[in-house]
Amino acid sequence: MDRLVDLAVSAVLLAGLYATMAYGLGLIYGVLRVVNLAHGGIIMAGAYLGWQMHERLGLDPYLSIPVVLLVTYGFGVLLYRVLVRHLPRGAAGGPASLLLLFGVWLLLRNVAYLLFTGNDQAITTSYSTRAVPLLGSFVSLNRLAVLGIAVVTPVALHLLLRRTYLGRAIRAVAQNADSCTVVGVDVERIYAITFGIGSALAGLAGVLSATIFSFNPAFGSGELLKSFVVVVLGGLGSVLGTGLAALILAVAEVFAILVLPSYLTAAVGFVMLVLVLVLRPGGLFGQRVLG
Amino acid sequence: MTSPRTLSLALALAAFALGLPAPAAAADRAKIVVGATLPLTGAEARVGGFYKEGYDLAFAEVNEAGGLEVGGKKLPVELVLQDDTSTQATAVSLADRLVNSDKVDLLLGTYASHLVEAQSTVAEQNQIPYVNGGGGATKIYKRKFRWLFGLLSPVELLGTTLMQWADEQQKAGKLPKPAKIALVWENTAHGKDFRTGISEFAGKSGGAWQVVVDESFELNGKDFAALLGKVKAAGVDLFLVDAHLPDYVTMHRQYVSSGMCNKVVSYGARGSEKDAVQALGQENVNGILSGVWWSAQLASSNPQAKRFVDLFKARYGGRTPEWYQALGYETARILFAAVRKAGSTDREAVRKALAETRFESLLPGGWAEFKADVGQQVQNGFVIQQNMPDGSSPIVYPKEVAAAAGIAANPRCPK
Repeated sequence: MDRLVDLAVSAVLLAGLYATMAYGLGLIYGVLRVVNLAHGGIIMAGAYLGWQMHERLGLDPYLSIPVVLLVTYGFGVLLYRVLVRHLPRGAAGGPASLLLLFGVWLLLRNVAYLLFTGNDQAITTSYSTRAVPLLGSFVSLNRLAVLGIAVVTPVALHLLLRRTYLGRAIRAVAQNADSCTVVGVDVERIYAITFGIGSALAGLAGVLSATIFSFNPAFGSGELLKSFVVVVLGGLGSVLGTGLAALILAVAEVFAILVLPSYLTAAVGFVMLVLVLVLRPGGLFGQRVLG
Repeated sequence: MTSPRTLSLALALAAFALGLPAPAAAADRAKIVVGATLPLTGAEARVGGFYKEGYDLAFAEVNEAGGLEVGGKKLPVELVLQDDTSTQATAVSLADRLVNSDKVDLLLGTYASHLVEAQSTVAEQNQIPYVNGGGGATKIYKRKFRWLFGLLSPVELLGTTLMQWADEQQKAGKLPKPAKIALVWENTAHGKDFRTGISEFAGKSGGAWQVVVDESFELNGKDFAALLGKVKAAGVDLFLVDAHLPDYVTMHRQYVSSGMCNKVVSYGARGSEKDAVQALGQENVNGILSGVWWSAQLASSNPQAKRFVDLFKARYGGRTPEWYQALGYETARILFAAVRKAGSTDREAVRKALAETRFESLLPGGWAEFKADVGQQVQNGFVIQQNMPDGSSPIVYPKEVAAAAGIAANPRCPK
């Protein structure tokens, strides 16, 4: 029984991490219908930003979050304005956007190699290995913090999308961009802001990951894959679905160790991805755009 | 009777043959050119840079002494070094270019098993000696290539050496008998070799060592809680893991956070790195055992190692070398020793010298031999180090080179 409780706690904590990684990818796809392959690169950049602020300024990684959000938001807006806006929309733009954003990812990675070399880095704080007792097991403070932020993030996103003019505009553009133009919504501006928010969420995932894992310029590829699985499971474009899908994926992976060898547990998510794409292509919770 | 036609053809062929450049004899050539690639950019860039330091030092040493003596004449040695960008395809194509376009005399290897595995096929196809210090996976050598020579001992021996130390502790009554082992390994050739070393030792121990958890994991794992839970539930005495640095940091953070403690903890070759100590905190890495191919501490007992450490410190501002630089240096030095022994750069003569000579070496044991029955991979043991509270990591095994007595039962664990 204790073992099951331990596994359940681990699953919830892991879900927090997965959800944080996936929100940005889901938001950008939900509004722009663009799969942001640079997402992994921005996660890596967020990790390095947090690390640099910790190393150079002695700033706690959690206190560096606002700066990371601002910088990666700015990068996202710039990326949209300079590159992504020139791509054709819809299915025709699919391959072009994939190739372009994959190129941006490679560029980010190589810039990181030039600046920081391939050495593994880690953010170490006085509480990096500290844990608190919970339900009879010990829970890492960092993972608990990540879970807290993973819960707060969709709530904040929900409030932004439901309670603000900007949020209503984003939802409207996601549903019908042409009609928005007719009623005077600056669609290009909304796209740029959405790309910026999605990138900021990737940056947030990066700095949070850096508190748990060591990283190097290749960091982000595994995170992108997990994010992709979560977003597809949750239903492309559904923020709430993303959170629930992260929980389902984490539970499946963690509890798989009861019946599978450890090295196969990472494959569970990809099996689920294939099954969902075949049986329920809209995702487990349907394609409710930003619902 | 020879016809005029046949005669003229024979004459033409003879003239053609005379016109061909004959392989340069040692007395005629101006220098010896050695080709190599290293991962100077990409994922393995850090280690590639360390190997380059070792190569540069070995070439500088020979040239500063007037060159390499071949057939009674001293010839300068030149290294043509290319960046293989940590990718297999580039490593292979560059090696091909070095052999067939740059016409290098001999080849030195790159770093990382997967790159060496791919690149060594070029050497085999072109029949050119290829000495490497960067490929440790036994599967590279199981192909029994004739032109491939490896200076990195198999990772199996890391597991074996680690268990030999533990076995001594058990016999001294410092560890329980029988003792339970959790064997956790990354799902790579490296991890599989480590597993083989430990499990074969345990299998032959007559029940003194019992592997009760035997699990592998994928590289760059995000969460090891479930795996660690399994280890915790098994109540093991020894927690033996083979992991790369990122997984070591992630797993050990979770290990410490979850309040786990085992009498013996090792992450294979990882444990004493400054980066890891910084990431995990000194108090959390105390007592961890690590096995490495070479340590600067060997300088106190091995003249070759001392010579290398002195040379390295003189050239690199007093910095103490790690095993990467030592293996880079030794790889080039052994190739030079083989050329000297062969008295020529003739490929077959150098290959024969490598295959048949027992070289004095800076490696643990003091000798390097490339025996055919193990695919010409050296079989020197590892040195086991243990992290101490004062931040040092002295060698604790083998006894002949040990600088401190190891601590068998982790003092952090409750009695």
